[in-house]
Amino acid sequence: MVNFELNGGDVYVEAPATMTLLDMLRQELGVKSVKKGCEQGECGACTVLVDGYPMTSCIILAPQVEGRHVCTIEGLVDNPLMKELREAFMENGAVQCGFCTPGMLLSAYALLSENRRPTEEEVKTAIEGNICRCTGYVAIIEAILDAAERIAPD
Amino acid sequence: MKPLTGFELLRPPTLVGALEMMSTLDDAMPIAGGTDVVPAFRDLGPKPVHLIDLGLIEELNGIEEEDGKILIGPTTTHSQILASKLMEEAAPALHDAARWIGSVQIRNRGTIGGNICNASPAADSAPPLLVHGAEAHICSLEEGHWIPLQELFKGPKMTVLEKNEILGGLRFHWVKGVGSSFQRIGRRKGFTLSVVNAAVYAERDGDRLREVRIALGSVAPTPIRAPAVENKIRGRRMSEDLIEEAATASIAVAKPIDDVRGTAEYRRDMVGVLVKRAMHEAWRRAGGEL
Repeated sequence: MVNFELNGGDVYVEAPATMTLLDMLRQELGVKSVKKGCEQGECGACTVLVDGYPMTSCIILAPQVEGRHVCTIEGLVDNPLMKELREAFMENGAVQCGFCTPGMLLSAYALLSENRRPTEEEVKTAIEGNICRCTGYVAIIEAILDAAERIAPD
Repeated sequence: MKPLTGFELLRPPTLVGALEMMSTLDDAMPIAGGTDVVPAFRDLGPKPVHLIDLGLIEELNGIEEEDGKILIGPTTTHSQILASKLMEEAAPALHDAARWIGSVQIRNRGTIGGNICNASPAADSAPPLLVHGAEAHICSLEEGHWIPLQELFKGPKMTVLEKNEILGGLRFHWVKGVGSSFQRIGRRKGFTLSVVNAAVYAERDGDRLREVRIALGSVAPTPIRAPAVENKIRGRRMSEDLIEEAATASIAVAKPIDDVRGTAEYRRDMVGVLVKRAMHEAWRRAGGEL
C-alpha cells in the first residue's frame, strides 16, 4: 500500500514495487494527463512534480513516493501562474498534438516558480528534458517567455 | 512496453539496515535515483533481485564541510550539487559537471553516488572528483574504509564494491583559492552523454602551477587520471606553450574506442581541445592570467 499526496489530496493505492509512478497515476488513479512516451526518463512526457521538483514518473517506482507530494497539471487548474502558462501556450501556437504539453507546462511552471524572469537560455535548460515532435521548440520557448512577461511585467 | 517484473524493493531507514540487507539477501543491489537502474531493468528484462533503496537514509544525503574536507553523501542529487554555493567555491569543476548531467528531471532524481557506481567511462561526475583527489568510503557491516576514487573503478560499468558493500560517501580536501574546470563534448548541447569529457585542477603559486591534475572520461575503460602529463607540467611557469604541451601529452594518454557516440580518432583530437579549454579556465579561476 502506497500512501502519498496527489494534487493536494491523500491517496492510498495498492501498487506493487514493480509498478512505476507513471503506471500508478494512469492505471490506478486515472490521471491521464501524464503521458507514457519513452519509459526511459528521456522524453519528459511523463513529467510530474515531486515535492515541487520536476521528475520523470516512468523511472520512479511507486513505493518511492510514499509520503511525498505529487503534482500533475490537474492540481494546478486554478493556479494563477499555470493559467498564464496555459494561455501563453495557446496564444503562441505552442500546442499541436498536445502529447508533450502537460510535461512542458510542468517544467515551465517549475522554472517560473523559482525564476520570474528567466533568460531564453534558462528556458531552454528548463525544458531540455521535454521532447516535442510537432511545433518544435521556438513557439514553446516564446510561450514560456511570454508567460513570464505576463506574471512579472518589468 | 513490457511492465517491470522480477524485483523486490526494500526501503531501509538506516545505513546499518541497508548493509544488513546487502550482506544477507541474495542478489541485493542498491538503488538511489533509479535513473540508470530502472531503464536497465526495461532493457534487460526480469532479473530476480532485491533492490535496496537508499533514498530514506538521511545520513547518506547532503554536502558538508568538516576539518577542511568536503563530504558528499552518495544520494546527493545533481540538483543539490548545482544549488550548493559551497560546491561552487570548493570544486567548481564538479559544480559545472552537475549542470550537464541529464536534464532537469534527471538531475532532480539522479545522484552522485549512482553516477559513480554505475561506473560509466563517460560519467560526468568522475573527472572532477578525480582531479580534486576524491576518496570513496566503502561501507559494509565490518569497519568502513576510504580508498582513492580511481581505485573504485574496475572497468566499464564495474566497480570493486563487493556484494555486501555500499558506497557510503565521497570526500576531498578543500584547498582555498584553487581553480578547477570541467569540459565536455556531446553530440548536442543538452541532455546527452559525453563523447569525451575532461577536468583540470590547478593550484597557483604566482605564475607557476604549484599543483596540477588532469582527468579524462570516455577515452578508456574507466575514467582516468593523467599522471604522466601532470608530472611533466607540475611546478612550471604557466604559458600558452605549457597548455599546448599538456594538451598534446594528454592525447597520448587517451586510449579511446570507436562507438556509437564517436570514433576513437575524434575522441583523441577532442581530448586535446578539452584539456586546453579546461587548463585555461582552471588557471583563470585560480586567479591566474595568461
